[in-house]
Formats: sequence, structure tokens, C-alpha cells
Amino acid sequence: MGLDRMIWTGFATLTVLFMMSPLAVLVLFCFSESPLLSFPIQGWTLHWFFAAFDRPGFFTAFQNSLIVTACVGAVSTVIGTLAALSLSRMNRRAAGSLMALLTLPLMAPPLLLGIALLTFYTSWVDVPLGLHTVIASHLVFTQPFVILVVSARMLSFDFATIDSARDLGASPLQAFFQITLPIVSPSILGGALIAMALSLDDFLVTFFTIGGNNTLPTFMWGMLRRGVDPSINVVAVLIMALSLGATVLGFRITRYRG
Amino acid sequence: MTAHVELRQISKQYGAVRAVLPTDLDIQKGEFLAILGPSGCGKTTLLRMIGGFVMPSGGTITLEGQDVTRLKPEARPTNMVFQGYGLFPHMTVAQNVGYGLRLARVPDEERKRRVQEALSLVHLGDFGPRSIDQMSGGQRQRVALARALVMQPKVLLLDEPLAALDLKLRKAMQEEFRRIHSATGGTFIFVTHDQEEAMSLANRICVMEGGRIVQSGSPQDIYLRPQSRFISRFIGEANFFRGQRKDGKVTLENGLSFADAGKDAEIDCVVRPENMGIRLNESETLPADFDLQIVSTVEEVVFLGPYTHYKLATQNGERIIVEVRDQGQNRCAHPGAKALIGWRSRDHTVLTE
Ligand SMILES: Nc1ncnc2c1ncn2[C@@H]1O[C@H](COP(=O)(O)OP(=O)(O)O)[C@@H](O)[C@H]1O
Ligand SMILES: [Mg+2]
Repeated sequence: MGLDRMIWTGFATLTVLFMMSPLAVLVLFCFSESPLLSFPIQGWTLHWFFAAFDRPGFFTAFQNSLIVTACVGAVSTVIGTLAALSLSRMNRRAAGSLMALLTLPLMAPPLLLGIALLTFYTSWVDVPLGLHTVIASHLVFTQPFVILVVSARMLSFDFATIDSARDLGASPLQAFFQITLPIVSPSILGGALIAMALSLDDFLVTFFTIGGNNTLPTFMWGMLRRGVDPSINVVAVLIMALSLGATVLGFRITRYRG
Repeated sequence: MTAHVELRQISKQYGAVRAVLPTDLDIQKGEFLAILGPSGCGKTTLLRMIGGFVMPSGGTITLEGQDVTRLKPEARPTNMVFQGYGLFPHMTVAQNVGYGLRLARVPDEERKRRVQEALSLVHLGDFGPRSIDQMSGGQRQRVALARALVMQPKVLLLDEPLAALDLKLRKAMQEEFRRIHSATGGTFIFVTHDQEEAMSLANRICVMEGGRIVQSGSPQDIYLRPQSRFISRFIGEANFFRGQRKDGKVTLENGLSFADAGKDAEIDCVVRPENMGIRLNESETLPADFDLQIVSTVEEVVFLGPYTHYKLATQNGERIIVEVRDQGQNRCAHPGAKALIGWRSRDHTVLTE
């Protein structure tokens, strides 16, 4: 192995270690007996899990997170997919500009997005804050991902399949459900899982638009303000595991079949 | 008797692009018709209008006396094999072929039987359970064909059916198409930019140029009696001699002249390379009925297996190709050599447009 190869490998290893170590520390501290977050770890326990689950409000937050994630996943997938399918039928230039417009929310910093949405809900349309506003807000930044993922798939979509189906007697609706949907479903599912992962661990936008409720990330924020103890790590690891699971599954499925 | 398919003043305009100009076309039952033309001349648009995928801007389409102009593709008794085939990747070969029958609610037993028959017809009898990505290019083409044929269409439409295949497979599939056409006795309309394919498959060829049909006739007709410079250039190779027609006599720019009835005009005299003769030795002469003869200079000799192409230039700079059925024995034909070339006046075509 040449010197340059060694330097590169070393650099890559360090980068990965640096990126992974906070996660590793987080997981380790979940099981540490000491209430202080410090090394070396003295003894091991599952106490903090029970402590986290026993906290008032934990299960409500957990339940809220599931509701928001499920709704955001479903709605952004349906709307994002329909948008991507329409885009794929347009001419390239129009589709390009429209796509840039639709994915614009991704450019906005989440903090600004959160404040803007809060202003919108309270002073423009005057709706009470709650899970519904969180869901609507999450759609703003999750839908572009679904559009992007499904559009990428449509670039290599063979439209002759739809023409063939129509030619063989299928109505437009039959062609959609029997041909288009099964062919692009891996990408749609991938987009949905990415959207759900993003929704699940969003803090900033949720924080501004949820009003008096909590999801897991805002619940964690509340715990933090009352002093750090290891049960917060448990919640963090829970969020991480859920969104990591969704993302990994999402990438798996989208890569499957290209 | 009315024709099987009748197109009347059918046209299509995309914004400012006039893809198909008002066109009339009658297609008889059992015909194997080729629509031949260069890329962008409107072939696909014309075919897709017959299949119902493109709504005509004007005109009518009649199928067995029924006006189908406004019918959706799923309601027309036509079936189409698309460029790129459009096979369903999430279905097996048999499911692909059976899709149309399933939509038509054909009972299971009958459907299985007809799928099997269609697959056997294209020599894929054992491939039913395979998935599409296990099939080669030529096999996919045959699946697409079986999928359309199983519907027993009144008219089968094929868009560049062989374009994606390599030369050898293309030849084999041409053979198959001829066999399947005579086995099914159906009406086939296919679109191609390959004049050789059109020649070898069709019993009638419609040549398209710039959105209109410029000549329609048997392959022999089109080849031997092209009606324009464009067609003679597009179909096979041709030599052009410019000239003038005056008082029933044509004088070519290279000095040759012959009698030819018609209006006074600028003309092109077109001669196919295989209708020309060549003599490379001064001692030899061309056969007596080669009434038009001229001395030229050999520029290149290209050996093509069964024939040799002699590329020559006349004194006034006309480029000429002479095709000879020999195997390059005339080795003495080195570039720069003088040669006597000629043709029979009955083998040429005089064109004014
Ligand atoms: N959907 C369309 N929108 C706009 N222009 C089109 C469309 N389809 C075809 N055309 C134009 O119509 C002309 C004929 O196209 P086509 O029928 O595909 O030709 P061919 O099959 O002979 O290559 C071309 O100039 C093409 O650019
Ligand atoms: Mg075409």
C-alpha cells in the first residue's frame, strides 16, 4: 500500500470515528449507572429506560410523534408522487423550473421555516396550533424529497409500458394501478420512508408550530431544560433508532431495482 | 369495395410543427404495409394516430367502415408493438402476453391456451414463466409481438420493430415477420427508416418525406421507378447525371444525349449502380445494348464480398458508382486508370423534381 493510500485510509477512518463517536457515547450512557455523563463508566443498568418511560408526558409525546410521522408520510407520499408523475409528463424545461420551485423549501434554514410558519398560522390564517399544524408544516420540507426521489425514477421510466397497457384495453386508471404504480412503487416507498425519518426527528419546525403539545424531540427539549440526566439519552436513542431504521429501509428499497 | 383502413385528409400539428400534412391512405385487408422515411418525417405520428395515441388535428380514420377517429386506444381493434417494446417489467412473459386477455375477462382456460399459442407462434413456447429481465433483446421483441398478436387485432401496428436489434438478429426477425404475417393473415402496418427492411418485408411501401406520403407502391415500383430525387436517393444507391431536356431530347452535362419525351426542363437522369457496366481494358467493349457510354477515371475500388463497387469520376466531375458481380478479379483497376462505363437507356429514370 502506497503512502498516499495510507493517508487517505487513515483520514477516512478518523472522519468516520469522529462522526460516529457521539452516537456511540449516546448509546453507552443509556446503560451507565452514574447520573453524571462522564467516563469511565462505573456500572451498567437499564434504570434510565424505565425512568424515561415513567416520565409524565413521555407516552403522549411518543404517540404524537407516531401520529405526525404517519400522517406526514402518507400525505407527502401521495401528493409528492402525483406531483412527480405530472412533472414527468411535462417538457423538460417547464418541469425543471417547476421542480426548482417545489424544492425551494429545502434551501430555507429550518429555524426560519419554523418562524415563518408560526407567523403564517397565528397572524395570517389564525388557526390554533396543534398536531395538524405540525403535520402541515412538515409537509413543506418532506414533500420535496418524495418529489425528487420519484422524479429521479421517472427519468428512466418507459412510457411505452403505459401506452402498451392502454393499447391492450386498459383504462387510464387501470394502467395507473396495474402498470405505473407497481413499477415505481419501490421509489415511492423509499421516498415515503425518507419523509417519515425527516418528520420524526424534526425539532425546530415542530417546536414553533406545535403549541402546547409535544413530540419526542420537543419532549427531549423540555427534559434538557430541567437538567441533564441519562434518561434523555434513552429518548434520543429511540428517535435515532426509529429514523435510522426508516432511512436504511428507504435506501435499501430504492436501490433495489435501481 | 372499401378498404380495410381508410385515412382521409388525416393531419397532425404540434404547435408550429406540422408533423403530418393532410394525407389520404387506403390499406387493404391482409396487406403488409411499410411506412418508410427518414427520422422526423412523421411516420410515428401517423402510426400513433391509427392506434389512437395521437388525436389528429384534422381528417378521419375508418376501420372496416367504422369511424374510429375519436376512439381511445383501448377501444380500437388495433394493437401496436412500440419502439422499445414497453414490456411490463413486474410481470412474467406469460403475464405480459395474457394482460390484454385478462382485461377482456377471457376465462382462465382459454386465456392460458391462447397465451401458449401466441408464445409458440413466436418460438417462445417454454419461456412463459420467465421474467422480462431474463430475456434477450430479440426475445423481448418477440414477447411484444406475441402480446399484440394474442389479441387477434384487425390491424397490427409496428413502430420500428427491428431498430434495436443487431444486424444478424434483424435478418432472422425479418424472416419471422414474414412467416407470422402469412400464418395469421392479418393486416400489418410497420414504420421504418431502413429501406432494406421495408423492401424485404412489405408488399407495399409508402415513402414519407416532410409529413406527407410522396410515393406509394410495390417495392419494385419504388425501387425501379422512383418519382423524385429524394426517393431515388433514399431507396438504395443511385447515380445522378444532370442535364437539360429540350424538344424531346435530353442532353446530359457530360455530353451524352438521348431521346426522352416530356416538357422542357432541368432533369436528373438516375441510374442504379447495378445497372451500369464497366470495362477496364481498352480492348474490351460493353455489350451492344449499352447505348450510353462514357469514359471515366477510377478513383477507388471497394471489395464487398459478392460484389465490387467501382467509384469513378467523369470528366465533368460527376461521381459514379458501378456495382459489378465479381470478386475483385479486375485487379488492374488501380486508381487513376481509365475505364469505359455505360448503361442501357431503358434502365434509367428521368426525374424533373
Ligand atoms: N409530442 C410531440 N410534441 C411536439 N412535437 C412532436 C411530438 N411528437 C413528434 N413531434 C414532431 O413531429 C415531427 C414528426 O415526428 P415523428 O412522427 O416522431 O417522426 P418519425 O417517427 O418519422 O421520426 C418531428 O418534427 C417531431 O419533432
Ligand atoms: Mg419514429
